[in-house]
Amino acid sequence: MTGPDTPLLAARSVAKRYGSVVALRTVDLTVAPGEIHALLGANGAGKSTLVKILSAVFAADTGDIEVNGRPISLGKPSDALHAGIATVFQDPALIPDLSLNQNLRISGLSSADVLPWLERMDLGTIDFEHQVSDVPLAVLRLLDLARALARDPHLLMLDEITAALTTDQAEYVFDVMREWRSLDRSVLFISHRLGEVLSLCDRATILRNGTDVAHLTLKGVSEAELVTAMLGEELGEAAVAAPEIAAVVPSPSFDDRPVVLEARDLHLRDRVNGVSFELRRGEILGLTALEGQGQTELFQILSGDFRPASGELIVNGEVLNARSPYDAIRRGLVFVPADRQQALFPQRSVRENLASPMYNRFSRWFRLARDEGERVDRAVARLDIDVRAGSQAQRLSGGNQQKVTIGRWIAVGFDTVLCFDPTRGIDIQTKAQIYDLLRELAAEGSSIVMYTSELREIPLVCDRVLVLYNGRVVHEQDARTVTEETMLTAAHGLEEVSP
Amino acid sequence: MTVTAPLETITPRAQAPWRRWLRRHGWTVGVWLLLLVLVAWYATLIPRFGSFQVASIVNNGSPWVFLAAGQAIIVIAGGIDLGVGGLLVLTNVTAARLMEGQSFEMTLVIAVGLVLVAAAINAGVGWIINVSKVPDIVITLGTLYVFQGLALAVLPNPGGGTSEGFRWIFTGSKVGIGSNPWPAMVAMAIPILAASWWLGRTRSGLSIYALGSDRDASYLSGVRAARTKVISYAVGGGFAAIAGLATTAIAGRGNANNFGGNLTLNAVAAIVLGGVALTGGVGSLIAVVPAGLILFFLSPILTAMGVDPNSAQIIQGVLIVVVMMIAGLITWRRSRTT
Repeated sequence: MTGPDTPLLAARSVAKRYGSVVALRTVDLTVAPGEIHALLGANGAGKSTLVKILSAVFAADTGDIEVNGRPISLGKPSDALHAGIATVFQDPALIPDLSLNQNLRISGLSSADVLPWLERMDLGTIDFEHQVSDVPLAVLRLLDLARALARDPHLLMLDEITAALTTDQAEYVFDVMREWRSLDRSVLFISHRLGEVLSLCDRATILRNGTDVAHLTLKGVSEAELVTAMLGEELGEAAVAAPEIAAVVPSPSFDDRPVVLEARDLHLRDRVNGVSFELRRGEILGLTALEGQGQTELFQILSGDFRPASGELIVNGEVLNARSPYDAIRRGLVFVPADRQQALFPQRSVRENLASPMYNRFSRWFRLARDEGERVDRAVARLDIDVRAGSQAQRLSGGNQQKVTIGRWIAVGFDTVLCFDPTRGIDIQTKAQIYDLLRELAAEGSSIVMYTSELREIPLVCDRVLVLYNGRVVHEQDARTVTEETMLTAAHGLEEVSP
Repeated sequence: MTVTAPLETITPRAQAPWRRWLRRHGWTVGVWLLLLVLVAWYATLIPRFGSFQVASIVNNGSPWVFLAAGQAIIVIAGGIDLGVGGLLVLTNVTAARLMEGQSFEMTLVIAVGLVLVAAAINAGVGWIINVSKVPDIVITLGTLYVFQGLALAVLPNPGGGTSEGFRWIFTGSKVGIGSNPWPAMVAMAIPILAASWWLGRTRSGLSIYALGSDRDASYLSGVRAARTKVISYAVGGGFAAIAGLATTAIAGRGNANNFGGNLTLNAVAAIVLGGVALTGGVGSLIAVVPAGLILFFLSPILTAMGVDPNSAQIIQGVLIVVVMMIAGLITWRRSRTT
């Protein structure tokens, strides 16, 4: 059966629906031996569903799947492993309460199986006695990868593995992928970073609304063409063009506007070492830093979660002594975390999620604000949220979930919003919508502090940028004139001036 | 372009092995210390303290420890079994009835048989929970009454008996009361250490932690959720049966009027004190041992202090809450400083 033309993986007419929501209409996917195959599509196109079907996390409603020409039946995850398909999922599949060693053991592996791969990724010295919850996400992703490789699979599926990795960490993953290809094995690669896709992948299958709309050989294809294929003709051009338009909007002077938020010499343990800044009405302040330079702790202070060891936070001219985020929220200072699961009530409807901050505003006789319905309607209309799956927020795609987490503050009203990596793991179209939304909010008089690890977002979205290094602001500049190189230099602590 | 950090700067800080050990096992050490402090204090409260008192604590505390260990395994796997107390009583009366007048060898055979039967019955309970998808707490509330009712049917009036040798295994004495604590300690140590090793070192044991810690991630790691749950209930049921056997050996008879619901709640209190998270995934049997003994031990202490037995219950309850609050405070502080 196995000839030179036999595909490694052939999935035909795979379909899946949850109740009335169709996740996959009908998808064909073929992966040849010795290729890196990209699976592309906007959020909600069905990529993750397809990956989970191929790794037997759940069963397809219809469709046939063949590996090396032999039909396989996928009942439980170990069936996929036996068929030679190993997967690194979007969420780490490691047990937080166990040590790394113990995690390997429940998968039937030992540290010796993964160590050769970890050494390749410069993680050979890792201590396997560490508990998973103590290990940074990026390391867990690479460990997940090593665990999948230790299975010696024919097909390696990587779902958004680079989303949590920085460029040099991702480089390790790319090396491994290239090596896998050279061994005549295959990789199915999912990523929102189209640059990666174009430089690595041989072919691509593009999904839109649960159907495969294009099968491309990637040689000579441009990023814009990929986006167009993912989004359909007109939308694609808009998504590519939108950032360009935003970039030429000049950042106005804010000196005559009132200061809405001022940080004075904030300290927290040895993580935040004297951060001061002013934020004026209508301004978008960008923050960027390498991983672990105190940005997480700074946002915890700003959002009222932690109290600073010393220093003051002044909101609209008055000192804020927050005991909990509730106090900050009451003063109009609201927080949008990177982890959307943290902010949402996944089993409640979109409308309930949008209304949730209003539940703090009981009027005297324990009635909810009379205009609750209107406020929610306005927020839904404003955000262009796909309410097909409105009965449960967890059914929304990641981008739409992020819109809800921002939207609930729009419904209740705020002065300053703190966004921590608001576009993490979100497709390009929704990213553009979120940039637009933030700019609109600022134009209407809200102030925004946005942390991002994607340097190219800074000039697109922000008016001014601060670079953090070792818990200190080491660089401040007009975000319009800043270059990625300047920020990167400052972020590495190679420049101690703040003009 | 994305901001980058070299990997070595974000891997966890290296810690001295003993510090990490203390951090991970701090609770276990703390509960053992608390037990020692209580014993020392008790020794000053009563006129004569010696091996008789130690034997009395170890012997009479052992059913609490076994039952708590069984509950701990089920809770670590993400379930909870209200029926274990009923299973204890059912094993207690069945053993007393079957063992009466039998030789030592025969009582041992009966004991092993009862543990296996109880494990099989409780495996069935786990299977029913899996198939029916009804929450654990609902199904096992039902099995609590079923087991209690069966116990009354087996032995309507307190009675029955066992062999002298069998009593010696759990009490160090042929008449169930004496000054030799060692046999009971060994009887406790063997199953607890064996189960502890199984939980921490084997694939099926670690699956118990995995299932309770993160159901989705464990599924993706290849843990068979349904089978693991059944195993946790089976082992938990086995421990409940050992607790019942110990009760038979201590009392020398069976008593179906002993209400299993109280015993279940004691076991839940003991595992909480022993650091087992009721949300699953966290806990150690080694810490459950002193916790079970402490809970048993509170009433003799309060009696020795001259506290009226009626108000002793209030103090017991308050103590549990206070200890848990202190522990919660420590955990909270630790989470803020690391």
